[in-house]
Amino acid sequence: MNIISLSNLRKHYGAAYVLKGIDLSFEAGQVIGYIGPNGAGKSTTIKILTGIIPDFEGDVTVLGMDIRDHAIEIKQRIGYIPEQAAIYDVLTPLEYLTFIGRLYGLDQAVIDKKSWELLRLFDLADKVDMRMNGFSKGMKQKVLLISGLMHNPEIIFLDEPLSGLDANTVILVKEILSQLKQAGKTIFYSSHIMDVVERISDRIIIIDKGAVIADGTFETLKDKAHSGSLESIFTALTGNQQYNSVAGEFVDILKNG
Amino acid sequence: MDKVILRIFHFFSPLLEKQGIDVYRMFAIVETKLKMDKRRVYLQMRNYNKKMKENANHLTSVLFVYGVVSLFIAIIIASLSSLVICMIAFHAYLLFMMTMTLVTDFSTVLLDTTDNQVILPRPVSSKTLFAARMVHVFIYLFQFGFVMSVLPIIATAIKFGIGPGLFAIITSFSTTLLAVFFTYLLYLIVLRYANEQKLREIVTYLQIFMTVLFMAGYQVLPRMINLTALGNDFSLSWYSYIAPPVWMAVALEAVQKNLYDNLHIGMIILSVFLPLLLFWMLNKYFAPSFSQKLAAVQTDGSIEKDIKLRKRNKKRLSENLSPILCTSATERAAFELTWKITARDKQFRLQFYPLIGYMLVFVFIFVFKSGQPLSVLWTDLHHTQKFLWFIYIPLFMAGNSIMFTAFNDNYQAAWVYQSSPVISPGHLVSGSLKAVFTKFFLPVFLLMFIFSFAIWHISIVDDFFFGLLVDLNCFLIMALLSKHYLPFSVQPNVQRQTGRFLFAFLQLLIVGFLIGLHYLAIIYPLGFFILIPLAGLSGYFLLKQIQNLSWQKITF
Repeated sequence: MNIISLSNLRKHYGAAYVLKGIDLSFEAGQVIGYIGPNGAGKSTTIKILTGIIPDFEGDVTVLGMDIRDHAIEIKQRIGYIPEQAAIYDVLTPLEYLTFIGRLYGLDQAVIDKKSWELLRLFDLADKVDMRMNGFSKGMKQKVLLISGLMHNPEIIFLDEPLSGLDANTVILVKEILSQLKQAGKTIFYSSHIMDVVERISDRIIIIDKGAVIADGTFETLKDKAHSGSLESIFTALTGNQQYNSVAGEFVDILKNG
Repeated sequence: MDKVILRIFHFFSPLLEKQGIDVYRMFAIVETKLKMDKRRVYLQMRNYNKKMKENANHLTSVLFVYGVVSLFIAIIIASLSSLVICMIAFHAYLLFMMTMTLVTDFSTVLLDTTDNQVILPRPVSSKTLFAARMVHVFIYLFQFGFVMSVLPIIATAIKFGIGPGLFAIITSFSTTLLAVFFTYLLYLIVLRYANEQKLREIVTYLQIFMTVLFMAGYQVLPRMINLTALGNDFSLSWYSYIAPPVWMAVALEAVQKNLYDNLHIGMIILSVFLPLLLFWMLNKYFAPSFSQKLAAVQTDGSIEKDIKLRKRNKKRLSENLSPILCTSATERAAFELTWKITARDKQFRLQFYPLIGYMLVFVFIFVFKSGQPLSVLWTDLHHTQKFLWFIYIPLFMAGNSIMFTAFNDNYQAAWVYQSSPVISPGHLVSGSLKAVFTKFFLPVFLLMFIFSFAIWHISIVDDFFFGLLVDLNCFLIMALLSKHYLPFSVQPNVQRQTGRFLFAFLQLLIVGFLIGLHYLAIIYPLGFFILIPLAGLSGYFLLKQIQNLSWQKITF
């Protein structure tokens, strides 16, 4: 039984297709790294899987249910942590988490207890009653992280979750993710920071221009590309080998004129 | 007040539940939205919010302002004898204010795309979300409608009887529905021909218009209250029946006088049932296509922008002007930057553009004050020397323009001034000043000149020429006297407290002195031959002073 499956998933904005037929399926309990350059279609895939974008071509099932027909049930059992700090920042962290918790139908007492303790773990205990419009990007990201996990979801979708976090928090979040994995959660993770994906993923999908161009464990991908780090695999697979010449041209233009 | 209304809605919970709405989640959304409404910075409060504490309830203050304005309307109702005139005034006011509030203020709620990212990933059905939006809009409208109409309705009930008073509640409600309808219509039309970007632009300009209107309202409304002379017997011409406030007024007349002929019954139908019908149609046909259009616009917008960027190769006006007006590369850089940011930064436009509008109000107040009727003042105008007002009123915005170009929300970007090897920061200041003077001061001055020329003809040309030089001198003196900031380099909240009074006093003194010189020159016309070169020369030296400012003189 696959926990997520996509078959021939296509999505267009206007005339341009951003996803050009994606076929994938995943087993429960995996950490999936979904990587690709900007504009590859990472966020769009995640938004379809989480039921945010309802119109697409092809079939998508999550937790064994069709996302088109059971979006609400699926949303109840998954967590989504978005890329940009999209947050109601005139609220305080506690108010925001109360709001989100209630949208998941959680009990007020549960919400209070969980928000307090999770905020404390993230070093935000002294800021629970401050409005978030003064918060740094990293602090907002922490609140978003809590808001997406508070209802203890079975699948967790993260869209570039580490951008803007400081080094210590990055380590903490990685540790949280690997413990969530041990607790049997499925984690679907998009990133363009290579080494993060490298260390925690069971399976890595590389997409470019709306199509899957590589799929496998870190080891198999490494064999495929005959080179060391994922970064060079990524470079080899997405066909961007002209970095060298671009860099040279860049420096040349600086010299002239 | 919102709490009370929410509690009333709680009574309907079982009913809503039966419709398939998740009441727990719906109230979670509505309560949060209301909380955020209270914390938003409101247009009318923008100038005061610095003094307010963060957790002050902005919404209450805005409602209070509306309440005060509606007190004026209540006084008008109490002082005029004709019900129809009173009610036309009241309903026109209500319709106008509600529409403007909806367009300018609630649009920020309506066009907010954060909702999509925060609520869509959560398990909330679209039905529940829609219900939450409706309840939120209803509470919002009810609060504003209530403060705007409660005093006038009470005044109506006391003066014209309980019947009209009660019926006025219904017509107020209808008027509010019409306001919602018009707002949607406006958005639909704008979105039909332009994108969301344009819609936001238009909303910004309407906000500016609103700010000016409030200011003008405070000045002009109290003056109009003693116009009790407005006759008892006045007749409505046929075309006035197109205006909704007239329907309401005539329908109320029917209730007051027990007149139920065809005309009055028709008006009752129009005023009660038409708004309901329009609102129903809005929900049924317009609202779905509207939200679709809004969603489509949001995704397509970015693609269009790319194309536009590539197309642009032409030089902009500021880029053509800067080589003529500026003497160094540094100055040109500051000139173009100021020119462009003042056109694009929303905060700047919201703060500064209303000042230009205020000047028209100033003209009205200063030139047409005194007790005489307007028509007499008008015909006598060319015998007076009031053109001096037209020359010097533009100075009202000079001080503010200098200040506003220093402050910007994105003040942190000003690090480039320090990291780049700028030797003469004075050129940054002078370039920015030149941009403001050319872009805002000159057009207003020209407008004043054209208007004055139409009245006083050729005789004032020399006055305006000298006046322009004096204005320029004053402008530069103000810039020299105030603290020197680099363009857009200061955080808006830490504004201008110290020495404001002394500074304003000094300004007044200098401006007064220069205008005194102008008076002398009018008496002894030969004076211009000495004063004009003198003013030109002093302007030149003042500019040099600013250009030569050193880094030590710049405040960060």
